[in-house]
Amino acid sequence: MKQHGGIRAGLYKLYRMDDLKPGVQVGEDKYGNKYFENNRYFYGRNRWVEYAPKYGVDYDGSQVPAEWFGWLHYKSDLPPMKDPSRPKHKWIADHQENPSGTKDQYMPYSTTRPKIEPWIPPKSN
Amino acid sequence: MVEPGTTVLQAAALVGVEIPRFCYHERLAVAGNCRMCLVEVEKSPKPVAACAMPVMKGWRVKTNSPLTRKAREGVMEFLLVNHPLDCPICDQGGECDLQDQSMAFGSDRSRFTDIDFEGKRAVEDKDIGPLIKTIMTRCIHCTRCIRFASEVAGIDDLGTTGRGTDMQIGTYVEKFFMSELSGNVIDLCPVGALTSKPYSFTARPWEIRKIDSIDVLDALGSNIVVSTRTNEVMRILPRVNEEINEEWISDKSRFSYDGLKRQRLVTPMLRNSACELKPVDWEAALLTVAKVIKNAGSSIGAIAGGFADAEALVALKDLLNKLGSEALCTEYTFPMDGSGTDLRSNYLLNNGIAKVEEADLVLLIGTNPRFEAPILNARIRKGYIHNESEIALIGPKVDLRYEYDHIGTDPQILQDIASGKHPFAQQLQKAKKPIIIVGSETLERPDGGAILAAAQTLASKTAAAPGWKVINVLQKVASQVAALDIGYAPGASKIREMKNLKVLFLLGADEKVFEKTEIPKDCFIIYQGHHGDYGACIADAVLPGAAYTEKQATYVNTEGRAQQTLVAVSPPGQAREDWKIIRALSEFIGAKLPYDTLDEVRDRLEDVAPHLTRYGYSEDANYFKQALELSKKSGVKMDKTSLSLNQLELEDFFMTDTISRASPTMAKCIQAVKKQKESKY
Repeated sequence: MKQHGGIRAGLYKLYRMDDLKPGVQVGEDKYGNKYFENNRYFYGRNRWVEYAPKYGVDYDGSQVPAEWFGWLHYKSDLPPMKDPSRPKHKWIADHQENPSGTKDQYMPYSTTRPKIEPWIPPKSN
Repeated sequence: MVEPGTTVLQAAALVGVEIPRFCYHERLAVAGNCRMCLVEVEKSPKPVAACAMPVMKGWRVKTNSPLTRKAREGVMEFLLVNHPLDCPICDQGGECDLQDQSMAFGSDRSRFTDIDFEGKRAVEDKDIGPLIKTIMTRCIHCTRCIRFASEVAGIDDLGTTGRGTDMQIGTYVEKFFMSELSGNVIDLCPVGALTSKPYSFTARPWEIRKIDSIDVLDALGSNIVVSTRTNEVMRILPRVNEEINEEWISDKSRFSYDGLKRQRLVTPMLRNSACELKPVDWEAALLTVAKVIKNAGSSIGAIAGGFADAEALVALKDLLNKLGSEALCTEYTFPMDGSGTDLRSNYLLNNGIAKVEEADLVLLIGTNPRFEAPILNARIRKGYIHNESEIALIGPKVDLRYEYDHIGTDPQILQDIASGKHPFAQQLQKAKKPIIIVGSETLERPDGGAILAAAQTLASKTAAAPGWKVINVLQKVASQVAALDIGYAPGASKIREMKNLKVLFLLGADEKVFEKTEIPKDCFIIYQGHHGDYGACIADAVLPGAAYTEKQATYVNTEGRAQQTLVAVSPPGQAREDWKIIRALSEFIGAKLPYDTLDEVRDRLEDVAPHLTRYGYSEDANYFKQALELSKKSGVKMDKTSLSLNQLELEDFFMTDTISRASPTMAKCIQAVKKQKESKY
């Protein structure tokens, strides 16, 4: 309980994530998501992310940036700040979460001509 | 027992045996050149062609004997030797006689090995106009198109050149096949050699929904089948109705359906303070219109256009009568002298369309039936060919595709004939079954009443049998008869006379009956219809209605036959069926019309005139004597100006109303006709 910041914070975390796991924080990304590891859990459950408090319960997997994605999914055992081979270019785009359900989401539109051409009233009158 | 002269093929059809055929067609002359209908006749050394051979007493015809089957398989083999195997990309695929008959009557295997050596015959395609696509390699030389062109359409442009393998169907010289009935060769062609250009590669017959309907582009009410797919009209085909159109329809009826997809009114519109029409929703439009009509009280007039259906007409009339106005008019005028529109016999094609071919003398007065009613012209031509009828014309000299006696252009000639001064009078006297057809356009003249009276006088002097009705009026638009039956006043003179016109309701009226300047400035114009044309341009409020393919509606054709269209596709956007709009409007005004369903509207129609709901049945008109006597009393003097018409040449035929004016195919036809005129052939 202590690790989770007391009874209130622990209960809140349980409400938020349906789980309370003890673990060592491996790092934190620039969005505030914290990454934990506890190798006493079996492989596949031993790495997890606690999303930044600002997301509340509206968190989803697309909020994990690409550099941490690899560690979280066992593509690499080195967290990004300890990985020397990780490229660092100026032009690497910032991570973007999935915009589905927001106003920025992609909306498909028809490119075929409409079946009925409506009459457009003439301008001059 | 069958009548003498019946062919083997017809006799077999009577007992329910179908003999395969390609060149034989009931409405065309027998050619007997495809040999598909060969049958074995006992004691005959060779199989006989069933389509051309009259049956004799005591014959035993074997339609399914080994010899017959061998003959059919042989013919089919020869046809397929030179027919391409392009059924998958052929527009006729699925409705092809050759496909069907090779399945039913052909051999089960091919012996054709020459494909590896000589290959198949190939023929250059021909350009015969914007309506008909030719793939001449597919042609099996049945010559149906040639016979149709020369017998029914009266255009001797198509013919054959060469013999045997070198035989080709064509126009001899590079020429368009320009006829007002040209589209029918597409239906006649048993294979995919002649197909529809606008329809090409758009749909397959098995994925199409077919809805029986009525054509409204002329006043004949030809029966049609509207083929639709994905809520879109794909094509229009004729439907057999022996009493109206047999199995032909005009090119305007067949090909102007693409006009239903352009220039459509899809949302209600109101003119805003900047004098621009802006789309609004139904509630706003109806509220505004209702407010204006309420304020206007009884100073409201209505004009019904050529596509208005009987349901909308009766609803609009009921609404205006409730408001206390009697100013309901049709776009096209009609003489009100004498009995006017009170007697139906004055404005109907009384004798019926089918009986025209029985007539031995046809007198056309100020009409060009070839373009005003192409199917009727085909009937007259049929009478001319098979019945040797005499045809005479008073009016502008036009090309009717048959020989006729041009008497003159001056309407005074009618009086000369009536008084016996003119030589034609004797001819008319002698005729046993004479018919006088007066064009409605001529009756729109100021002296129309006098012309009609003169024609009635002529009719009364003929020696026709009692049941034979001599005097006939040919209407030009589909709505006119129904409107006059319901009690609309012909022509807009009633509205012109109204001093304080506050609201003008245009029900699809687009023919510039009123110039914008003629209408008082403070008059609010409501346009209800399906196309944006003149009416919508001058309107202050636009209510989008449904076109004839989009509503179940009643139309009465020029012979007084009530017929109904059925819903083939849904009206585009927010457009609604016309009577429903008027019904909704009546509720907003507070003068609620007492019907909620189509059946209730039709009950009301039946109360007004019972024949309006007797579908398919032609209600006769009578009281010819009374009509004559009343018209004699009117005393309108005849003008000396000669008769004139709007549709004289083929290019005048294609665009006559809002639908055909919006149709790109019709525009192409006009261009093609003009191009043809410049060519040296």
